[in-house]
Amino acid sequence: MSFPILSSIVALPIVGALGLFLVRDDEAHRPLVRSVALVVSLLVFAETLLLWNRFDNAEAGFQFAERYGWIPTFGISYAVGVDGISVLLVVLTALLTPLALLSAWESVQRKTRAFCMLVLLLESAIIGVFVSTDLFLFYVFWDAMLIPMYFLIGIWGYDNRIYAAVKFLLYTMAGSVLMLLAIVSLAWLHQTLNGEYSFDLARLLELEIDPSTQLWLFLAFALAFAIKVPLFPFHTWLPDAHVQAPTAGSVILAGVLLKMGTYGLVRFAFPLFPDAAILCAPYLAVLAVIGIVYGALVAMVQPDLKKLVAYSSVSHLGFVVLGIAAMNTQGVQGAVYQMLSHGISTGGLFLIVGMLSDRRHTRLISEFGGLKAVMPRLVAAFLVVTLASIGLPGLNGFVGEFLILLGAFARHPWLTVVAATAMVLSATYMLWMFQRVNYGRVTNEKNAELPDLTRREGLVLAPVLALCVLMGVVPGIFLRSLDASVEQMLEQVRSRAAASAKLSDGARPAAGAPGAPRF
Amino acid sequence: MTAEAFRAPGERMPIGPLGVIGLLGAAVATALLWGQNATSFGVVTADRFGLFVTVVLVVVGVLSLAISGPVVAREELPAGEYYALMLFSLAGMMLMATASDLLVIFLALEVLSLAVYVLTGIRRDSASGAEGAFKYFLLGAFASAFLLYGIAFAYGVTGSTRLDRIGAVMAEQATAPSSLHLLAVGLLLVGFAFKVSAVPFHMWTPDAYEAAPPSVTGFMSTGVKAAAFAAFARVFLEAFEPLSSQWTPLVWAIAAATMVVGTVVGVTQTNLKRMLAYSSIAHGGYLLVALVAINDIGRGAALFYLLVYAFSNLGAFGIISVLESRDAPADRVDDYAGLWHERPGLALLMIVFLLSLGGFPPFGGFVAKWYVFSAAIRAGYVWLAVLGVLTSVVSVVFYLRIIVMMTMVPAQPGRQRPPTPVIAGAALVAACAATVYLGLLPARVLEWAAASIHMIL
Repeated sequence: MSFPILSSIVALPIVGALGLFLVRDDEAHRPLVRSVALVVSLLVFAETLLLWNRFDNAEAGFQFAERYGWIPTFGISYAVGVDGISVLLVVLTALLTPLALLSAWESVQRKTRAFCMLVLLLESAIIGVFVSTDLFLFYVFWDAMLIPMYFLIGIWGYDNRIYAAVKFLLYTMAGSVLMLLAIVSLAWLHQTLNGEYSFDLARLLELEIDPSTQLWLFLAFALAFAIKVPLFPFHTWLPDAHVQAPTAGSVILAGVLLKMGTYGLVRFAFPLFPDAAILCAPYLAVLAVIGIVYGALVAMVQPDLKKLVAYSSVSHLGFVVLGIAAMNTQGVQGAVYQMLSHGISTGGLFLIVGMLSDRRHTRLISEFGGLKAVMPRLVAAFLVVTLASIGLPGLNGFVGEFLILLGAFARHPWLTVVAATAMVLSATYMLWMFQRVNYGRVTNEKNAELPDLTRREGLVLAPVLALCVLMGVVPGIFLRSLDASVEQMLEQVRSRAAASAKLSDGARPAAGAPGAPRF
Repeated sequence: MTAEAFRAPGERMPIGPLGVIGLLGAAVATALLWGQNATSFGVVTADRFGLFVTVVLVVVGVLSLAISGPVVAREELPAGEYYALMLFSLAGMMLMATASDLLVIFLALEVLSLAVYVLTGIRRDSASGAEGAFKYFLLGAFASAFLLYGIAFAYGVTGSTRLDRIGAVMAEQATAPSSLHLLAVGLLLVGFAFKVSAVPFHMWTPDAYEAAPPSVTGFMSTGVKAAAFAAFARVFLEAFEPLSSQWTPLVWAIAAATMVVGTVVGVTQTNLKRMLAYSSIAHGGYLLVALVAINDIGRGAALFYLLVYAFSNLGAFGIISVLESRDAPADRVDDYAGLWHERPGLALLMIVFLLSLGGFPPFGGFVAKWYVFSAAIRAGYVWLAVLGVLTSVVSVVFYLRIIVMMTMVPAQPGRQRPPTPVIAGAALVAACAATVYLGLLPARVLEWAAASIHMIL
């Protein structure tokens, strides 16, 4: 058997985190703790690059698959694998983790060891979500991820951190428990039809479920994912969590955590319940567009930099959902691409806001002004990331949004027109913010003496900037990894929906739910 | 030929370590009896179901004895009486878990209850202790009366107190049960509901739990619940199974009310022991969900749940026991402020126990809840399962509050944390390891629980 590369990617951060128990947690050992965590996360990143390098772009199914029995009585196994949709998300997670650790190098001065351990555990859990091909395992990672994030926000966050942490956890959990029930129902359904339990995604994809049951199960899944994305009107936890989280937390939260929701839609909700997905997609698209416009409008009036970026995330993630709801090649490809590029550019924005707030201990736009003269290099980086976030052609944001609009226009032309208008809004709030922070004269003398980028900060931003440009100029190297898997996923949805349509035409009773509600 | 016989030496030796040896003897006896389905005098059955519960009770006993050390020493409780009472009630619990005759169940219940009443009020100088014990005693006596009355009716309509004969008679009457049959079922239901502190018969629980020393509370909330639940399941799933269409709606309603009241009222508590009391009420509700499902999965789920719950809940009460001191009780939530900064190890253990109780992966509580709700969905009780998961989200609110206090709120200056005794610390670490093990690699224990669902009468 070949080297279990995916398991080692998932396990390495956990091993690193446990290994940190061996290092003493005091002043003298703090640099050692940080270095160990950083080295571990860089090793993971190197492994994921190797994974991508060996990844076969022509193959649509899961690669590097591993499967071991876990709870065999119930058909639960430890099963992992990556396809084109998930491989780059894994790489993104592994890239942002060391950046997040580096960003906290100086700002996290208390309980450094616990901080580093939690960041590493978080990395494991998120990668676990992206590589699971067993629904039970997926749920375990999905829920386990909440705990480290909760502590990161609650312990190292800003003033109102406890409220934000609890709200984050409860919101997400309330959505996901119903998904757990839906997962259990699916396994029972499989047992009823095929005589054995299974939580295996590939086998559950073969189930024929009657449309009304599908609708309930789809809604349970979609609710969990919609809260995570967050889709309007489930977004209210996000601004709190983002604003209160420490920079590293915000970077991971915006960079990859939100993508777990959209990833879940693409990977699970749509292929598993094709009829319900086709039925619900227009509603999802409407909510997505409301989110796009609403997020942009609210972002415009935010006095706080972090809150502005948080609402811009609501808007950008709306585009992703719009692309998924279009259910065509351009739309879904654009959605996955936008997930990656939003991870880079919003991650970058949060890093920069974090740097500003480390220097000034405030994030209010009105406190800044004229920074261009004081910190030219930081502002230059800021400019690139801002433009990337707006979607300027030639930078990463453009590619995804363009593909999404292309795909969505074919399906919902009017909604797409509204969404495209919102791109103007996004340019407005981002540039207005940029202008107020960086141009003009230095009005606040506290800003006059701020130091420019340090070498460490430069190191953090360099990969972000490089990727913004790379993903904008040569999107092909990323897109070609997605191609085959996105096609296959859409094909699955279409053919299974067609099959069940034929089924209901033939008036053959479809398989029922494991049991109707009984009182 | 029952496990109880082996336990006898421990009861008379009023010293903790000997009790542990006695319990380990019971565990060995259990292992020997495994799969033999031995019976004694036709009234005690060592079937796998009973033996699994006995193992849970051994776990409860060992952990309770281990965490009792600091409490007994600090409160200057009479060590001899304390340990003897605890072991007495354990013997009663084990008898109750394996009894297959209503009268023996009643006798076992009285053995365990009387010992626990005394344990609740063992802090003789404390007024609240006496009050709690008195309430518990009065209401417990009521419950016993209900139970006895139910037994009398069951005897009246079936002519026997043996569960197998009752089951046979009930099966004949299943199509058209007379009101007397139903009265017997109803009275027994009320009696058992009292003992597993199900809503609306839960009133005694918070008071008794708050009044008792924390080690006793932990013992009560896991041991009494496990034993009472085992008897409950045995009577209702076996003897009264033919009448299930009559009693499931009632138990459904009780389970739903128990989960809702347990969690919603739990959220409003500021006293940690009362909070955990309500949490244990809610957990009783989840166990009832497993009972309502009346399928094999539900039985296995209930057994697994009891085991996980024993580790997590006793662990949580163990932490309280270790942290309390005579002049500074650690039973308000505020008392836990900053624990993580002062005693990171204990805080970490507490976090694991609470997250497990809240049902987070990768801890045992998650697997247990998943198993219970699987059973409910399997039986078609989708709404009960939905209610269950939603209340478990609500319950997370109060578990989180303690975690917030420990990790995110600065410590109060001047608070002294007593040192952790080695034995209690080791027991807590073991409980934590078991909680994690049951969450990460539950396959073997799950199979074992699933294989233990068979009851014989």
